[in-house]
Formats: sequence, C-alpha cells, structure tokens
Amino acid sequence: MKPLLLALLFLSAATIAVAAPDPGAEEAFAPSDALRELLEAEGDEGGPMIGPEERAYFDALPSRAKELFETAIEDELMTEGEHLQVILALGLRAPALELLMQDSCIVCHTDPWQDSEVLFSPDPAASDSPAHLDLREFTNDVHFRRGLSCAGCHDGDPLDTVMTDPVYESMPPAPERHEDRRWVPEFCARCHADPAIMRRFDPDMATDQYAKFRESQHGRVLLVEGDSKAAECVSCHGVHGIRTSRSPRSLVHPKNVPDTCGGCHADAEYMAGYVGRDGEPLPTHQLEEYRSSVHGRALLEGGDTGAPACNDCHGNHAALPPDVTSVAQVCRNCHAGNGELFDGSNHKDAFDRNGWPECGKCHENHAVAETDDSMLSDAADSLCVDCHERFAEDNEECAETPRYFHATITSLAHETDELEEQITHLAERGLDVDALASTVDQGRDVLRRARSRIHAFDRGEFVPLETEGREVIQAGWSLVDEAEAEYRFRRNGLLASLAIMALLAVGLWLKIREVDARE
Amino acid sequence: MSESGASSRVMRWLDERYGTSQLADFLRSKEVPIGVHAIYWYYLGGATLFFFVLQILSGMLLLMYYQPGEATSYESIRYITTKVPFGWLIRSIHCWSAHFMIVSLVVHMFSTLMLKAYRPPRELTWVTGYLLFALSLGFGFSGYLLPWNELAFFATAVGTDSVKSVPLVGDWLLNVLRGGPEVTINTLYRFFALHVSILPILTVGLIASHLVFVQRQGMAAPVGEKKAPRGMKFFPNFAMRDLLLWLICLMAIIVLSLLFPYGAGIPGVEWELGTKADPLAPAYPGIKPEWYFLWVYQLLKEFPPHLFGFEGPEVCLLVIAVLLATWALIPWLDRKARRNEPSPGFSDFGVGAIFFLLFLTLKAWDIGGGDGELPDDAAVARTCAWIMVGLAAAVTALRAFLFEHRFFVYSGAALLQAVLNGLFGLSYLLAGGIAGGLAAAVTIAILVGERRGAPSPGETP
Repeated sequence: MKPLLLALLFLSAATIAVAAPDPGAEEAFAPSDALRELLEAEGDEGGPMIGPEERAYFDALPSRAKELFETAIEDELMTEGEHLQVILALGLRAPALELLMQDSCIVCHTDPWQDSEVLFSPDPAASDSPAHLDLREFTNDVHFRRGLSCAGCHDGDPLDTVMTDPVYESMPPAPERHEDRRWVPEFCARCHADPAIMRRFDPDMATDQYAKFRESQHGRVLLVEGDSKAAECVSCHGVHGIRTSRSPRSLVHPKNVPDTCGGCHADAEYMAGYVGRDGEPLPTHQLEEYRSSVHGRALLEGGDTGAPACNDCHGNHAALPPDVTSVAQVCRNCHAGNGELFDGSNHKDAFDRNGWPECGKCHENHAVAETDDSMLSDAADSLCVDCHERFAEDNEECAETPRYFHATITSLAHETDELEEQITHLAERGLDVDALASTVDQGRDVLRRARSRIHAFDRGEFVPLETEGREVIQAGWSLVDEAEAEYRFRRNGLLASLAIMALLAVGLWLKIREVDARE
Repeated sequence: MSESGASSRVMRWLDERYGTSQLADFLRSKEVPIGVHAIYWYYLGGATLFFFVLQILSGMLLLMYYQPGEATSYESIRYITTKVPFGWLIRSIHCWSAHFMIVSLVVHMFSTLMLKAYRPPRELTWVTGYLLFALSLGFGFSGYLLPWNELAFFATAVGTDSVKSVPLVGDWLLNVLRGGPEVTINTLYRFFALHVSILPILTVGLIASHLVFVQRQGMAAPVGEKKAPRGMKFFPNFAMRDLLLWLICLMAIIVLSLLFPYGAGIPGVEWELGTKADPLAPAYPGIKPEWYFLWVYQLLKEFPPHLFGFEGPEVCLLVIAVLLATWALIPWLDRKARRNEPSPGFSDFGVGAIFFLLFLTLKAWDIGGGDGELPDDAAVARTCAWIMVGLAAAVTALRAFLFEHRFFVYSGAALLQAVLNGLFGLSYLLAGGIAGGLAAAVTIAILVGERRGAPSPGETP
C-alpha cells in the first residue's frame, strides 16, 4: 500500500509541477475601449471587420506590440476598424509588426481612407495605388527589416504625426523627379557610398557602387548625357520592395538578372535609337539567345546559380559592353584553362591580326551552345572547316589536324561508352564492377581534358592525352576480361558442383528404390 | 577390432547412459501415412526446416563480415558481395533461401489446412506452425533493413509507419519498433538484434516444440481413418526421400543464385544493393515491400482515409487482425474435422483465402497498369480480375473433377469480389462487402440447415 501511496504522491507532484504557471508569463493585456471598438467593428455586410484568424493573431501578440496599436489610436493615426484589419491581415511576425507600428509615416499611409496616390496597400491594383506602394513588398524590404524607417530615405521623424518640411525637401518634387532621374544614384549613395553608415547595417557590403556606376555606360548615359531612360539604382533594385540579392524574389537574384536586364534590353521600342560602339543599333535579341544558351539553360532551367547571368560578363554597377579585346578575358573568369591553352596556341596571333573575339568566334556570345564533337568534324558547315577553307586553304596541316582531333575524340568517346555498357552487363550477373566503373570515370576525365586540349590547336600537345585515353580503355577491357573469367569460373564451378550433387541425388534415388524393393 | 564391433560398443556405451536404444526403436517403428491422394504434402515441413537450416548457416557466414552501423552496414554488405570470396554466393543463397522458406511455409500451411491435419489432438502443432510463420515474416522484415540501402530504408519507413494506426498504443509501438520517432540507425540496431538473436532463439524453441509434437503424435492420417491405409517407414525410406528433396532444393537455389544473384527483378523479390540509405533524401518512388507483405500493402491502399467515422488504416488493421485470428483458431472452428468428418467448407475457405491474397498481391504488382508514371488502377484491377477468373476456372475444375469437391462458397465469394472490383468497376471494399455478405448468408443457411438435420450442400458423402 505504501509504495502505491508514494507513487500517487509523486504523480500528483509531477502533475502540479507540469501544470504550474510559467513565472515568465506576462500580465494579461486589457485593450482600451477605443481599441476594443476597432477590434469589434462591423464590416459592410454586418459581419465582424476583424475575422477570427486576425483576432487570434492579435490575441497572440505580445503586450508591447498591442500597446503600439493603443498609441496609434491615441495619436489618431488609426481610427477605423478597416485600417486595423489591413495591418492585422499582413500576419507579420511580432518584431516586424512592432517596427511597422513604431513608424508613424507608414501607419498613416496605410489608412484605407488615405488618398490612393500615397496609400500603401496590400493590393495596390485593387485600391488604385501606384504599384511601388505595395504594403506587403514594403514589409519585406531589406531597409525596413533592418530598422530603417521611412525617414531613413524621406527624412523627417518617424514619431511625427504630421508631414514636415524636411520630408517634402528630401527629394526633388514630382513630376520632375520622375522625369529627370539623375538625382537617384546620388540619393542612394548618401548611405551606400558611406562605409561608416553601411558598417552599421551590412559590414560586408561594398560601398563603391556609385563610383562604378558613374563610370559605367548606364552612368554615362544618365549622368553625362542626361538621358533618364538609362538604368539607375531603382531600375534594377526596385523601390519599396528591395531585397538582398540572395533572396530568390530579389530582382537582382542571379536567376532574375536576365529578366531584369531584359526589361529594357529586350524591348526593341525602348532601346530604339541607342547604338553600339560600331555605330550599329543595339540589338535586343540577347535575352532570347541567352535563354537558349548553355549558360541560360543551366541557370534558368537547372537552377545552377554558378552559371553566368548578364552581370557576370558585363559587370553590374560598372556595366560596360565588352569589346573584342576584353570578351575573351570575361570567358577566362570561369574557363581559365582553355584560355591559357588558347593564349599559347598558333591561333592567338591570327585572331588578334583579324580582330576576332577569341572565344566568341567559335562559341558565340549570348547564344553559347553546348559544345559537341561534331564542331570538329569534316562536314562543310563545321567550325574548323568553315574557317580553314577561307583562311588556310593551302595549309594541309591545318586541314588535317581537326580531322585527327575529331577522329581521336569520337573514337575515345565511343570506346568509353562501350566500356560503360559492360558495367551494367557485368553487374547484372553479380560481378564486382567497382574497378571498372572507376576506369570508365578515368576515361571520361581523359575525354574532358582532351576536349579542352583542343584549344591549344596543336597535335603534339594532344597526342599524350590520346595515349593516356587508349591505355585507360585497354585497362578497362582487361578488367572486363577478368570479370568474364570470374563468371566462367563461377559457371564452371556451378556445373561441377551440380554434377556432384546430381550424382549424389541419383545415388540416393537408386538407394531409395533398393530400400523400397527390399520391403 | 572390426568397425561394426566398435560402433556397436559406442552405441551400447551411449545406450547405458542415455537410453538411445529407445530412440532407435522409435525411429525404426515411425511411419508416415500415405494419404488418399498423395504423400507429397508431408515433405513440405522437412523442406521448410531445410531452408531454415540453410538460412542459419548462410546467416552465420554473413555475420562474420557484416557490421551494423551508419558507416558500416551498407559498406560491409558491399564488401561481402564484391570482395569476400564467394560472399556474393552466400548472400544470394541467404536471400533466395529466405524466399523459398516462406513459399514452402505457405504451401505447408495450406496443405495442413486441406488435409485437416490440425484436428485434435494436433491443435498446438497448428498453433506453433502459425507462430513460426509469423516469426518468419519477422525475419523477412528485420533482415530487409540490414543492408541499409535506399530501398530498404524507405520500405521500412513505410512498413513501420502502418503500426501507427494501432488504436491507443500505435505511437508507442512505432517508437518501440523504430527506437525513436523516425527510422534511424537505432532502428537498424534493434532489427539486427531481432534478426540474429531474438527471432532465432524463439524460432529454434518453437521448431523444437513443433517437432516434438509431430514426433509424439505422429503425422496426421487422412480424415475419416484412424490409421492410414498404409504407411511408409520414416527411416530410412521417408528420410532418404527428404534428403533427396533437400538436395534438389539446394541445387535449385545455387542455380538461381548464379543466374539471378540479385533476385527475380520484380518488386518484392529483388535485393540489389543499389545506393546507400540517406535519411534526408526524398522518399524513394514506388516503394513496395517483400512479396509476402504485398497483400497487406494493397489492402491498406484499398481503404479510404476515413470509414464509418474511424481512420481507414485502423479499420484495415482490424480486418487483418480478425482474419489472422480466425486463421489461428481454425482447429477449434472446424467442428466437423474435430469429429474426424470431412469439412469441405474449410477446404474451400483455404482456397478462398488463396484467391483473396492472390488478387491483392497481383494488384500490388500493378499488373496491366500501363507504362505511365502512375499505374491506371482500373486497368490493373481489370487485368488482375481476368487472371483470377482464368485461375479460378482451372483450380475449380481441378477440384471438382480430380478431388470431387462440391463446396465453392468461399472461393466463389473471393472470385466474385475480384470480378465486381475489376470487371464491374465497384470499389474493392464494396465488392468485398457484397461477396462477404453473400458468403455469410450461405454459411448461415448451411448452419441452420445442419441444425435441422438436413444434409449440407456439397458435403462429400
């Protein structure tokens, strides 16, 4: 009985301990009559303005966040249930909501009774507000999230409950500021070019964007030529919904960069009148070409953010059109090995003499296609033949070398494929294919290097790789032979053991007959 | 000193101490009844035992190299199959023999049902056999995870997940089974302990009792005869035949192990190592358990999420529990066999059970479902129903003409369910409800008729 009583006592103590109130729990919040009135306001159709989900959201908020609603009501910035509903429907986490409610500017500019031209709305299209006054986007803006209130850009004081002069004077008046955009880069640079300010928010961020921009083509067109169609900060980063480039929803996230640039550069009407250094009109098919290129497909379809977008070759803040002399250096940023081989090749001089863009001559620029061994083939429209017939018709060696490259690479590729087929074939029979799989990998590696070595355009440099490839394939076939021999051993062993067992079985059967006959 | 003189002295020495002459006398006098139709059914117990011994031997060899662990389970199996001399053969024999053991157990159990060998005084032989079958399924389930490959990992995750639906203790049971809320290496540790220690001890104990029961009571004679019309001496006549069968089984397993080292290549009968389990990887598509669990897998699929206010899987587990309990209690339910009278109803119940399990298994294999990513369920049910119709026609003709069976209520009900589901597009459960209801009505009519003294339909005179 005693142990039972003790157990009951322990259980009760445990239950009480579990059910004991949390000493850290805050005191219950009692809304004022004015706040309660807003919370219980009726909608147009007679139902409650604040729905059950929004009410539950409000109830779950910490007291200090709820107090901010009381302050907004006391300051007469929030007077209607509809206004409260707009804020609660955002469903912001408590810290973000507190940031929002501490900023009188945004509280006032979210009041649905506000003039639609200056109204931040969760659905700008429905409330006839400008698209850049999207309240949901604003609450995701990196500046807002880091605590930079409206006053951070527009001046004034977040605690002010009325508009003050500094706010009106912080930027040029409308509509001039929309028509002449030259003020924008300098406006952003007030913070972004100041290391002391940026260190407080993002110490990793560079502060040379403005300097670069001024030297860029966009910067020159905007700041020197005064053409406000040229891209400035807002054109690429947006206004109130700016996110870091790491955010997949950012306009400058690698996957979104092509569309952001294409917003202007793929618009023939917008780009009309702009000419390149050669005096020719700037083309607008780059985005289309890029999408179908090996880079575009890797980035946009494969999601490989390591693949280059527009800014990786052209720069971003310092965007300049790469000319013939620099384009190959851009490619070398990633394809360094091939670039080095090309620099030491006999083609280097010929390309320089003719002013051809090195990589782009064979691989195109925006429309870089996936390379294929047929590029080296004898076909009339293949790369090598096309040039050699025009520029090196009399040089037999020039005609022979690509034929040799093509024949060697296709033969190595074919034999590696055949070897790979053996892996499945042998594995199905339960044989160890680890070594063979590794040899096939070696073969693929030799092929990769051989395809790259083409860029030296030198048979002498290519031969050692051919030899290595042949040796690897030979080693692979030796492994196949070993595996086949192992299989033959297994099969013969099986036949021998089956024969012995069959003999035993026959003997047993004869014995059974003999024993049966005896009875 | 002659050899026979020496051996007889050894025998005498043993006899003086252990009374071995009694055992020799027992073996000399032991007979196996030769039934009305055939004696072949009596070899299945021995064949199952042979496969079990083969499992123990090959398992011991595998255990010399297998190392359970996150970084070693998969690697050691890979090492066994690629580097250890004849390791591939041992693993393959272990896997093939496991499947053969289950097949032989199933056939042994059904043959016992057909011959009514469970009737008194052999009820406990049936129950121990039933438990041995359950343990064998446990062997299959626990052994499947040990290679720690992707397929095994996700199949175990899905398989163990179903216990969650057990009322009240589901979550606790899941936790115990997995050694935590998820399948982790802890699950493998306890499955390993089950597979190589707990289950073998229980199985050996149960096999010993099963064999003691068989030896004490002798093998069951055909129904209606107290003693078999004629018998065959167990030793050496029957034992040598056993040995011959074992030899043939061993040859078959070795041939299969060489030709198909990774199994038959169909879901539930394959054991290719594949890639190592990655608990963070997305679930393996098209996960299916071993073939002997496919009927449970399919039955769970046939149940809707909610049924009569209960969770669908809960109802399904209840149905399975009722079916399994009925199966265990057959020796007590079959009152005619208890009176040593023919009981065609239970023979047909056995055939009906086979049809029921087979239809579900065929459906689980998505036979006739097309080559699309997702099989066409209606086409699968249709194809499987046609297969069942063909099979049932052949089996029924065989039973009617060769074995003179006249009772087809339960097998007919199982076939009706397949036809209604596959050919008339009724849901599996509705089809089952109609077929089961009809079978129940006929059963009640027969029982009422028997009470009134009327002969039951189809009863063999």
